Amino acid sequence: MTRKNDPSRSSKVHREFLAEAEEILERLRNDWADFEDQKHAGGEIDPVLINGLFRSAHSLKGLSGMFGIDGITDLSHHLEDLLDSLRLGRLSTNSPQAELIGGVVRLFGTVMSNLGDESEDVHMDEAIRELIGRLDLATASEVEEEESVLPCLLLDSTLMRALTEYEEHRLLENRRSQKNILLVEVAFEILSFDEGLSEISGSIREVGEVISTLPSPGAAADSQICFVLLVASDLDVPGMIGHIDFPQATVTAVPEEGGVSPLAANPVAMSPAASPAVASDEPQTEESTIIAASPKAPASSVEATAAEASAVVTQEVSDAKHPDSEERSAQGKDSPEFTSLRSVSDTVRVDIRKLNDLMNLVGELVMHRGSIGRTVRLLSNDPATARHGEDLGKVHKDLSRKLKDLQSSVLDLRLVPLRQILDKLSRVVRRLRREEDKDVALELHGVDTELDKLMVEELIDPLVHLVRNSFDHGIESVEERSAAGKPAQGRICIDAFQRGNHVVIQVSDDGRGIDPEQVCAKAEGMGIIQPGVELSEREILDLVFHPGLSTCTEVTGTSGRGVGMDVVRENIKEMGGIVTLESKRGEGTITSITLPVTLAIIQSLIVGVADQSYAIPLNAVMETLLIDRNEIQRSEGHELLNLRGEPLLLRRLADEFSLERSPDGEQVYVVVIGLGESRIGLIIDLLQGQQDTVLKPIQGPIREVRGISGATEIAEHGTVLVLDVAAIVEDSFRRRDRR
Amino acid sequence: MTVEKSNQQDRCVGDQGERARWEAIARAAADLQSEGEGEDRRSELLAFRLADESYAIPVEQVREIVRMRPITPVPRVPKEVIGVVSLRGEIVEVVDLRIRLGLASNRPVRHTRIIVLHGDSGKVTGLLVDEVTKVLRVSEDDLRPTASSESDVVHALYRRGAEFISLMDINRVLEL
Repeated sequence: MTRKNDPSRSSKVHREFLAEAEEILERLRNDWADFEDQKHAGGEIDPVLINGLFRSAHSLKGLSGMFGIDGITDLSHHLEDLLDSLRLGRLSTNSPQAELIGGVVRLFGTVMSNLGDESEDVHMDEAIRELIGRLDLATASEVEEEESVLPCLLLDSTLMRALTEYEEHRLLENRRSQKNILLVEVAFEILSFDEGLSEISGSIREVGEVISTLPSPGAAADSQICFVLLVASDLDVPGMIGHIDFPQATVTAVPEEGGVSPLAANPVAMSPAASPAVASDEPQTEESTIIAASPKAPASSVEATAAEASAVVTQEVSDAKHPDSEERSAQGKDSPEFTSLRSVSDTVRVDIRKLNDLMNLVGELVMHRGSIGRTVRLLSNDPATARHGEDLGKVHKDLSRKLKDLQSSVLDLRLVPLRQILDKLSRVVRRLRREEDKDVALELHGVDTELDKLMVEELIDPLVHLVRNSFDHGIESVEERSAAGKPAQGRICIDAFQRGNHVVIQVSDDGRGIDPEQVCAKAEGMGIIQPGVELSEREILDLVFHPGLSTCTEVTGTSGRGVGMDVVRENIKEMGGIVTLESKRGEGTITSITLPVTLAIIQSLIVGVADQSYAIPLNAVMETLLIDRNEIQRSEGHELLNLRGEPLLLRRLADEFSLERSPDGEQVYVVVIGLGESRIGLIIDLLQGQQDTVLKPIQGPIREVRGISGATEIAEHGTVLVLDVAAIVEDSFRRRDRR
Repeated sequence: MTVEKSNQQDRCVGDQGERARWEAIARAAADLQSEGEGEDRRSELLAFRLADESYAIPVEQVREIVRMRPITPVPRVPKEVIGVVSLRGEIVEVVDLRIRLGLASNRPVRHTRIIVLHGDSGKVTGLLVDEVTKVLRVSEDDLRPTASSESDVVHALYRRGAEFISLMDINRVLEL
């Protein structure tokens, strides 16, 4: 178990688990409290409540399973079973077994508050085992009395067959509590039946329960659709007709076999009368059946029995759940009852949109700071106001510092560890291993590296794809591997680490690597490259990202269809990141994804062209140069610069965006931009400094503008467009190659 | 002529009055949205002016009306899209309706407004108009389809006394 080896990791896992589990526990507690209230009030338990408890138990099971907290998974699984029995009426809500729910809920609280405390593990495990034993007993002693009541209702057999187990149970429950069972038949115009149906259902719910709604064939006209609503209510037929006040509806009572006593155990009617009679004739034979509507016992005595029985069980449960309670109080700890009420984790869950709003607000504050800065300069430059200017300047400086802190704190809120998705990849590999019968180990490093929440979500698909690629195409068969002198077990490794303002995620394998010849042959075959053209190693690897090209010759279920690497690159690009490939034949492949730590703030270089300002993401800027005008050389219609012996293709931003081109001065600014190996020099008029910028999408009918990836707001410049460097570089090369 | 007249009227009302009028329009717009279907199928239209022509769009398509603000031009877009503005941090394209309808473009004046339309999934759009005039309550019987030749962006005419107001088909307008 990993949590034993690495306490820091385990406590972090627990914190994350608790952050979500506590909400579920809170719901369970509330629902259970309502449950008890309803029971003490002597009334029926609202089926909605049991369903709610059931759902909570189910969520908790899923959550704890994901985090590998086995005790809670087991316990919630058994709780789920118990609740399912209650829900379907196999067990009465009045039965002593139902009281176990409270015990389980309390034990959840105790276990959660002791998570990570290894000295408590043993006690917790014991308590869980003990309670699970009781739950097993409880669900094993289910009451089988469905048939004892149903047959005495003379329901149409087709209708009867259409009922789900749950609906059947509700029918029984209502029957048992002396409700009138009615059939409401009503026809609606097909075009508007949903409105009519919800209206009549709503009206019925005021005075009873709609057990089931079924379409029925008896429509009067072609344009109509007829429904039968199976209803339980205190009202009788005339009462119901009066209440719903629906002229088109007919209400009939469901006739009963033998007329008066609905609970008369007479198993004739619809279903083939075989065995079931026995159970209801002698309900007292099994202890657990006493409460579940023993047909002959008068209601009051049933209740008395229930109260007694449940009192006993409660006692037992509360004893059982703290086998260590004495020891604990000896240690001076809070009583478990008390701790379980307190919140164990101090985590708040926040909608990411709220964080975005906060981020926007901070951005606006930064803009205001900019205008204060300008005022400070104005005041300071005028001798009459210089003193005030100085004072304001100090305040401005303080404000700037605090704003910066605020900005980074808000940013920090968005960051989550990568573990969430890396763990998912382990599951993917496990599944692939089963399906494909290949022995591959997955290693994860740097799972605590943090990244913007929005990006983490977007990363799942690309990473799954890369891992599948490694699994399918990279790792060879065992025979191949041993022939190549490699260990039989293949290895896929995911490394995540932070490098400056970026996070790098590498997926590497020790497989066969990418075969350059095979890639070229395929690309030629598809007409992507001309035959006989010499390509650099990098250019060949770049072909893998071409839509439609996949190196695997056969198509497998998961990959090999040739849609993939291009999608991966597209997805990563949308997040402002890049994907690069390194591969050595026979040794393996490394795919690196480089992403900015957050989508929210990127460092940008602000440049000016023709009275406009543009932002260039700094991660795409290699360097900025100030060159003499006559250093620009012309060749075949495009401009070049000799940059340390290498030709650098130049492109004027004014031309790129069809802006007015200002005449070159003696010297011109060149910003060298690019991603990976392809780079160009962008000629601009002015350098206007670096800024933290918040990249925002453009809304409107056009939105997708080639060369623009979004916009940002900067104090001095207002709204500024952000360049899509990859597109501009790509277009520049394409333009050159066309000539 | 009409332009000047309305300018003068407004000057008399002053900024205070103008703000009150705006708030009234905004309230009317909000009321309509919550009201849902009226009994006699009445709908409300936001009327605005381009040069000396009156147009209207259904009020429920309008998210807000804002004053003119700095517009950042965007390259490589049709000329109707004069650029983007920032609305509390949201970057929204602005379509100059004058250019879209083939009228001469106009320098922004005091009454120039940007009508911001609701848009699903990133399609919030601003429309630049000369002046927002009023909210009209009309019954659908008052709306007459236009002769097909008239315009590709107008799908009905509404007569109000002697005045005709053209109901704009926003989807057509935004097909750029």
